[in-house]
Amino acid sequence: MSACSTIPDLISSSVNLDLDKSGNYHDDSTCNSASQTMFPFVGAKKSVLQSFAHELSSILRLNETKKILIFLCLNMFGTGLLFVWCHDTNSMALTAYTYLTLFDIFSLLTCLLSIWVRLQRPSPAYSFGYERFEVLATFATTMLCQLGALFVIKESIERVIQQPEIHTGRLLIGVMFAFMLHMFLTYSVDNKALNHVIAASSSSWLQEHTTDISESLCHWIPGLSKLLLPRINPLALIAFCGGFTLTISHVLIDSKSYYTSDTVAAVSIAFMTIGTMFPMAVYTGKILLQTTPAHMLGQLDKVLREASTLDGVLEFREEHFWTLSFGSLAGSVQVRVRRDANEQLVLAHVYNRLANVVSTLTIQIFKDDWTRASSYSIMGGGSVFPSNYTYSGPPIVPARGPSPTQDLGFISPTGSPSKQVPLSGQGHGHSHGGQGHGHSHGGHGHSHGGHKSHW
Amino acid sequence: MADYGENVLPKHAIYKGPSSAAAVYIGLLVVSKLFRAVGLFLAYDVLKLVPVVLFMFVVKAGASVPLVLLQKPFTSGKKLSKNQWFRVSRHAFVGCLLGVLWMFGLSLCGPLRTILLYEHSDVIVIAWAGALFSGNSGSPAKMRGAVVFLIAVVTLLLFDHDEKLEQRSEQDSDHLHRNVLTHIFYHIINLVGWSDHKGGVVLLFLTLCLQVGYNSASKKLSVDVGGAKRLHALSTLIQAMILGPWAIIFSSGSEIQVSWLYLLFPLALFTLFVLIIDYYIEAVAANHIQPTKTAELGAYAMFGSALFLALTWNHPYTARITTMHKLQGIITEDHVLSWGVIFSLASFMLATKILTNPGGKTNRASFIGFSMEGQPVYSFTEEALKRTSQSILIHLKNALRQVLEDSDSRKIFYFLCINLAFTFVEMIYGVLTNSLGLISDGFHMLFDCSALVMGLYASVMSRWKATRVFSYGFDRVEVLSGFINGLFLMVIAIFVFSESLHRLTEPPEIDTNRLLAVSVGGLLVNMVGIFAFKGSHGHSHGGGHSHSGGGHSHSGHGHNTNMEGVFLHVLADTLSSVGVIISSLLIEHFGWNIADPICSLFIATMIFLSIIPLLKETSAILLLRTPGDIESCVNSAIQKILNLEGVTSYRDHHVWYHTSSKVLATLHLHVAHDASEQKIISQVGSIMKDAGIHSVTVQVEKEEYLQHLSGLGSTFDPNVFQHSHFELPHVIKAV
Repeated sequence: MSACSTIPDLISSSVNLDLDKSGNYHDDSTCNSASQTMFPFVGAKKSVLQSFAHELSSILRLNETKKILIFLCLNMFGTGLLFVWCHDTNSMALTAYTYLTLFDIFSLLTCLLSIWVRLQRPSPAYSFGYERFEVLATFATTMLCQLGALFVIKESIERVIQQPEIHTGRLLIGVMFAFMLHMFLTYSVDNKALNHVIAASSSSWLQEHTTDISESLCHWIPGLSKLLLPRINPLALIAFCGGFTLTISHVLIDSKSYYTSDTVAAVSIAFMTIGTMFPMAVYTGKILLQTTPAHMLGQLDKVLREASTLDGVLEFREEHFWTLSFGSLAGSVQVRVRRDANEQLVLAHVYNRLANVVSTLTIQIFKDDWTRASSYSIMGGGSVFPSNYTYSGPPIVPARGPSPTQDLGFISPTGSPSKQVPLSGQGHGHSHGGQGHGHSHGGHGHSHGGHKSHW
Repeated sequence: MADYGENVLPKHAIYKGPSSAAAVYIGLLVVSKLFRAVGLFLAYDVLKLVPVVLFMFVVKAGASVPLVLLQKPFTSGKKLSKNQWFRVSRHAFVGCLLGVLWMFGLSLCGPLRTILLYEHSDVIVIAWAGALFSGNSGSPAKMRGAVVFLIAVVTLLLFDHDEKLEQRSEQDSDHLHRNVLTHIFYHIINLVGWSDHKGGVVLLFLTLCLQVGYNSASKKLSVDVGGAKRLHALSTLIQAMILGPWAIIFSSGSEIQVSWLYLLFPLALFTLFVLIIDYYIEAVAANHIQPTKTAELGAYAMFGSALFLALTWNHPYTARITTMHKLQGIITEDHVLSWGVIFSLASFMLATKILTNPGGKTNRASFIGFSMEGQPVYSFTEEALKRTSQSILIHLKNALRQVLEDSDSRKIFYFLCINLAFTFVEMIYGVLTNSLGLISDGFHMLFDCSALVMGLYASVMSRWKATRVFSYGFDRVEVLSGFINGLFLMVIAIFVFSESLHRLTEPPEIDTNRLLAVSVGGLLVNMVGIFAFKGSHGHSHGGGHSHSGGGHSHSGHGHNTNMEGVFLHVLADTLSSVGVIISSLLIEHFGWNIADPICSLFIATMIFLSIIPLLKETSAILLLRTPGDIESCVNSAIQKILNLEGVTSYRDHHVWYHTSSKVLATLHLHVAHDASEQKIISQVGSIMKDAGIHSVTVQVEKEEYLQHLSGLGSTFDPNVFQHSHFELPHVIKAV
């Protein structure tokens, strides 16, 4: 995981500054239009269209793309047909159900996008790579679906006031057609982004209830557990539930001319849609908000705890770890180290620990009072680097941290002994040899603060 | 059932009663419930002839005799104090009120529906209310049970077409107005416009809730008095005494058509079955089987026998057995079985099953499995529910304080208030004048308010402190909210567009009556919003961007995407009000009905075009795009960094907008082996700050670092090293 995403980074950032400039023109134009609220489309439109056509032709060469495009055409045709039937039957519930196939259109488009993303390398404009496009596309898809459902609810409220007549002629056929179309597209297209979100997001209330019911069902018929547990694909589930609701309302309208059942069915389908899409939107939205995924917190804690036992590491601060795209983390952290620690060694060790979890990682080593530390010759390579800074402070206050000499024999957990650090004079802290080990972070930090203020 | 008991309870448990004994109690329970149902059916027939209060008096008086004889409340146990007597009589007073309501509901709804609605044990109702109102009282199963219960009640209320009854009640509704209670009841029912059977359903349901509350409230009293049975006996006696005078008053007014002899037998049966046998057997059964089990089985038995009786009650044989044939001439049409009732009965049974099921293992936040990438997947419910509940009032006060703290959220809040006020005035006016157009426009406004609510929430949320999960703080929420608002407006634009295309082909007749006034009002409200938000949504209307100069001039970009989203929303509303005004003027004066769809088309296009910049900006931020407008500054900054002493090359530089005003960056630098890392870091920090970047993280690497890494290599992918080793100096310093 880490290797995969690091290599392209390295390659692509070899694109030098000239290329950056050529990209600049385009960026500026979009940005200008982005800031004018009312009249966009000044310069960017043409280039956007052209580049879009160019990108499309680049992915058209793949067989997979052709398959998806065929499905897309099929779906668009089916959805159009369904909307015509919705208009004919005047049924709100069928409209709500048809939004599922509309969702499928978007999901197919997301699929195309992820194919395109796979062909991309990080560019100066998108230095993290293009994988985040998938996240945004999935988020937008689920949000649009929810907003559509919200519209259905609004229209249904208006219908409660004035219930129009529903024609059942095409209703049942429409339901069956929409169901087949949706199920076909759900299972025949391998939309990696959406599948990941479905697998990783929390269960919707619909799923939770289904799981609960099927658990008790599996007590009676254990064979079903393979089919029903741990949880059913939410898109298939909503297709079943929506279809069932619509069938009931069809029966009611047919037998009793009970037209309100259509509106009730529409509202319940809308609620189910929102319920299904909401966890997915939350999951992708959290990625977009640059948050640490909750399930990674434990692992990150463990790694950081391990790393904090390294020789010379005092504390971690400004830890920012966030999901870059599906399944890859990025992060930055500042490590405060002891003044006499070998920065490069600590950096290598911490990087080594964290790189297993976080793929795009930046670690900043931080030293208190580095200006003074530089007057010592403490570099691991043994070279005393020339410094403009000289120590000119008062004699060291006694309340210093643990003695550096104490740490000389300290073996870091990875087995590489810390380098011998020749101390030049001053002898501060030697008098506190009795303070034991060198990892009492809190105390150390405080004493530094005190020292600074004194200085 | 017996098997179940045997399996669960070992033979040597303290819990007494082997399975055969349990079976006996279950049998007793079922029989007593059957009797109770019979009693209620009888009572329904009797109630057609006898006023409710009189009926209650007779049965309570009848029940108090055996109860007093059996319990001996006066002789056994310690004497009651004055206060206790007062509480007992209060208990009796409420009890007889509930009893009268129950019997009144019975006379309205018929026995089957009364049994369905009223014969739920306290355990079930409390479980139901807990699941529905406290939210976190257990597994999803409980919630489901609660919903099923509610569906059953609603079905009985709405989908149960008791046509014959409705006819009957219309025919002799005036004849039924017999006392104060019925008067009040019919008045309310008429006001709402329901048939009395629906009113009865509501009445019974409320009575059930009250009864449960009454039962749990009287628990303490029963302990004080010395046992529930003693309290029951005393209370029944007092109830009879309370009801006595009323019964005389009411019975004097109306004369009963049949002689008391015929009525005495059913009354005695009712007293025996409903008030005595059932009471004792249920108490015994609850002692010997678990209370929840008793409740469940009792409910099944009750519903089953009610259904059975409803099917057979009017059969001549049954009538002969119950001696009702003598009254047959007087008793008119009866309640009928409808599919609604059957469905409701099934739902009640299901709800009883689910609610009494011990849902012990609530798997909230349980580990579900692994996702495809090997990440563990948890079910939700943990974090949302672990928050301690607060008083709603305090919560609201805190929220209001948070809202009013900041100028942005304050603006949104005030505008929201104005908007809501306008909406409610419009809707109330619509209801009063019975205008559907106004009401639906009100709903439309309400729908629009949801965007404002979201903007408000995001604006408050963005000021929250950073947490472990949101390590950068919550300010990115504003960007996301702007994006969602953009999507929202896009959906609105698309809907308006398709609707107007549809209308273009078949333009409907539009009633412009009152339309003008409403849209002018809407326009005024929205103009307030536009002037309020114009200042805050930023400088984008101003004279373009002046970022080319570099340096510190980037604050101009710092407008708030959330506010921009809200502003665009208000703008879209204003546009549509203007459109409505124009089109209604055109229709009124020239009769151009086509003006309306054309106006909508225009408006939809405007909304769509106005939203594109916002969507572009927010999505660029969300995608962590390198900011375009400060790219030149960043590049020059990087050039400066390369010129620093000791720096040889850089890689992995990421610059991104965290919010629309905050830029973050990370950078890896390769430096000469003799350079000072800390010095370089501080220099880079100040250079980046000058370039308008708020926070930068620099990883300073030397050749030594790469050696260390390759030394550690076992756990690390060697590829990375090779690459970083050989390709690291990408951008060779231009010396």
